[in-house]
Amino acid sequence: MLSVRGLTVRYGAVVSLNDVSFEFPTATTCGLIGPNGAGKTTFLNTVSGFSKPAAGAITAFGEELGPMSGYQRARWGLRRTFQTEQTIHKLTVYDNVAMVHEHSRSRRANRRAAVRDALDFVGLGGMGDTAVGELDAGNRRMVEIARAVVGEPQLILMDEPAAGLPDNETARLSEIIRAIPERTGALTVLVDHDMDLVTSCCSITAVLDFGSLLAIGATAEVLADTRVAKAYLGEEIDEEEEQTS
Amino acid sequence: MMATGMVSHGRDLSPLPPAATSKRKRPWWLSGTPVVTAVVVAAVFVVWPMLASGYWVQASTSAAAFAMAALGVSVLVGRVGLISLGQVALVATGAWIALRLGYGTGLPFPVIVFLAGVGTGVVGLVIGLPSLWLSGLTFAVLTLMGAAAITLVLTVISFPNGGGGLTGFASTGDSAPMLERPMYADSDADYFRLALVIAVLMFALVLIHLNSRAGRAWEAIRQSPAAAIGTGIDVVRYKLWAILLASFIAGVAGAVMAGAGGIRVTLFPVQDSIIIVAAVLMAGAFSLWGAIVAAVLMKFLGAAFTLLDVSSSLLLILFGAGIIQVLLQSPQGIVGQLQGVVARRRRRDRTADTGQAEGEQDA
Amino acid sequence: MSNLLPFVVLGIALGSVFALSGLGIVVLYRTTGVLNFAGGATGALGALVAWTLLEALGLNEWVAYLGGILTAAFLTLLYGVTVGRGLAHRDPLTKAMGTIGLLLALLGLMSLVWNPTVVRTMPLPTTAITMRIGPVVVNGTQIVALVLALVVCAATAVFLKRSKLGTAMRAMADDRTSTAILGVPVRSVEATTWFVSGLLAGVSGLLLSNLVNLNAVDLTFLVIPALAVALVAMLRSVWVCFAAGLAIGLIQSLLTPVLALSPYRSMTPFVVAVVAVLWMAWRRPNVERIA
Repeated sequence: MLSVRGLTVRYGAVVSLNDVSFEFPTATTCGLIGPNGAGKTTFLNTVSGFSKPAAGAITAFGEELGPMSGYQRARWGLRRTFQTEQTIHKLTVYDNVAMVHEHSRSRRANRRAAVRDALDFVGLGGMGDTAVGELDAGNRRMVEIARAVVGEPQLILMDEPAAGLPDNETARLSEIIRAIPERTGALTVLVDHDMDLVTSCCSITAVLDFGSLLAIGATAEVLADTRVAKAYLGEEIDEEEEQTS
Repeated sequence: MMATGMVSHGRDLSPLPPAATSKRKRPWWLSGTPVVTAVVVAAVFVVWPMLASGYWVQASTSAAAFAMAALGVSVLVGRVGLISLGQVALVATGAWIALRLGYGTGLPFPVIVFLAGVGTGVVGLVIGLPSLWLSGLTFAVLTLMGAAAITLVLTVISFPNGGGGLTGFASTGDSAPMLERPMYADSDADYFRLALVIAVLMFALVLIHLNSRAGRAWEAIRQSPAAAIGTGIDVVRYKLWAILLASFIAGVAGAVMAGAGGIRVTLFPVQDSIIIVAAVLMAGAFSLWGAIVAAVLMKFLGAAFTLLDVSSSLLLILFGAGIIQVLLQSPQGIVGQLQGVVARRRRRDRTADTGQAEGEQDA
Repeated sequence: MSNLLPFVVLGIALGSVFALSGLGIVVLYRTTGVLNFAGGATGALGALVAWTLLEALGLNEWVAYLGGILTAAFLTLLYGVTVGRGLAHRDPLTKAMGTIGLLLALLGLMSLVWNPTVVRTMPLPTTAITMRIGPVVVNGTQIVALVLALVVCAATAVFLKRSKLGTAMRAMADDRTSTAILGVPVRSVEATTWFVSGLLAGVSGLLLSNLVNLNAVDLTFLVIPALAVALVAMLRSVWVCFAAGLAIGLIQSLLTPVLALSPYRSMTPFVVAVVAVLWMAWRRPNVERIA
């Protein structure tokens, strides 16, 4: 379970997250959506440890993340994919994934098997020896996901994984993301603008707007909520309805 | 405030990757470049002292020491993205420690060299540590200041020359302090060979690191500190490790120079610490060969200039202009450019073999 | 106690120049993101040019000094509009390395043109003017240093905050591209900043040639106290520059009569910088520093 209580993050005078509180239950994929500037990336950065909150607490699987620094959270089991994939281009696919296992609390004996397993899961089974820099964008994203699922992750944060991918790759991505909870037992937070992806992968979705929590609940209900539509589209939808009624 | 952001600084100073070769199919020490290198080194080992005059043998020993110092800089700059402007001062530190141990104890040569490395490692760590939580820019500034401080201290206390006390200096001692060479390497020619062997050991040490967990972590830090943290890498600890390694190697280089003899403070001016960075950048910070080219540039050119009675000031201007040119136009330096040419040719051959589309590019 | 007063005077004078050169570094960094390692070298060049104009060409003193200061200013400007612009979009470390290149080239140039083994002096006319302030004798150069530091710091603080150009400079430090889009003449603001930074370096070089000595290498590496001042000011605050400069100058000078530490007193800027950096690292701000 991921529990956020009273989370407030400020960058200078700008309040990026304002007293946000909610909970995500275990071992499922949860969506986090909202218009640009709503605070989604700030939220991910704060959970990852890159930003320090001015107030509030984050608890995951019973552990307070606050006192842990960025790399300590990663060791604990927090994995993250970034908007522009951050894999290490000069290293091989195998090394990229093995590194995550290497720096986690997992045992060395299982490493080869764990890495092979993760690579098979994303469909990169035979490509362990290729340098990541030589792969195309879609496969590099898959390497990033393999890094996220290898070993024993607890919390996986995905920041717009579908960004820049063509439709057929998004379908493959969707399949993989849906398979993550069962394979890893981890809680995945998916931030994306692709509503089809969010609908097909996430059972629960939270909505942020201007740094505050707007709604949270079953994905279909949340997406149908007029308040959410208004947040994305602005006030005009109200005026239109008034004019036509 | 100061340099910030989640983008790696190191990326600007390092080259694009050459076409990667498989690391797992054949042991790395059996593939092309290491064999060629081994042959070249063996040739130099045997043949060079026989061909070269005394002056050039001494210059070569100097070059071997500086190749090690440049190697340290190369690890920091090319692999982790840290610029140390104090490496030559650390070499001087190593020389000081070696001389102090040499005059004050009866320890054998290899032990002294090792201890000089360890001691210098600690000094390098102390200077580098404060700035590690801040930016790479702060690190550069502090290492420059550290270099000036070390040079000042050495100017005041002089190098040990047989005297007693903490500083080991006596006005009645040796006027040109020298570390006692081991019996098997007493002549200049043999000492050069010993210096070469030590240099090869240091390069091997770095290679081992690069192929280990530390090397992979450094690559992550260099390319994307954010991704490195996300991988669970303790960035501070791995930067410290790189600094320790680079400083250790500088200390070993200093001990080697101590054995070459004629040690005085003017041999290690502050500007040399800057020049060695310039030379490494010009030669190519990423490739290990770059370090060798850099040292040769520095020492051989310098020796040549002295012989031809050309002012060494021209060398300063050359290196100054050189850094600027590299920064503006060719971040991978000379070696990187050459490697790029070789890599493109290799890739062309490979695509011809496998019939892959020309569109396949590396990032 | 009273026998320390001469050292206090020397310290304040020296510290004032540290503050001036530190300010030059801070102002340039705030606007362009360039940490100028070559500030000392440009000042040294200016001083040597002034010396040549004075001694070798026999020109009037004030013409010579002006010539020296302007040399430093125009050289810095030249670097700024060529290399500086070429590196403008790179990270701060790369931009700073460019100035390292300039430092080396200038060192080479200076030792080529002005034989390093010759000892040169260029006493400023103000040094001859002395006056008694209580138990202590102070010379004109020292007073000029302090007054100049005060005035320039005050003027800079006001200028950056109030004037249009100053606001433009502060905006550019934040975001060069956005500032350009807003119609601010980024290039001329930059050029002006480089020029002013060069002026400050030139003046500092001239003063230091009197307070320390007229030696190319020594003056070049007097950029180190300036960097220390800039670091303590966190590359940001004008008044901390003033205070830090004076503090470093005073401490360094007051160590002169302390026999055990005296030979090492020019390490003071380094020690102060280390303390400042440790303090800053301890009080790490909101975002985890990753660079």
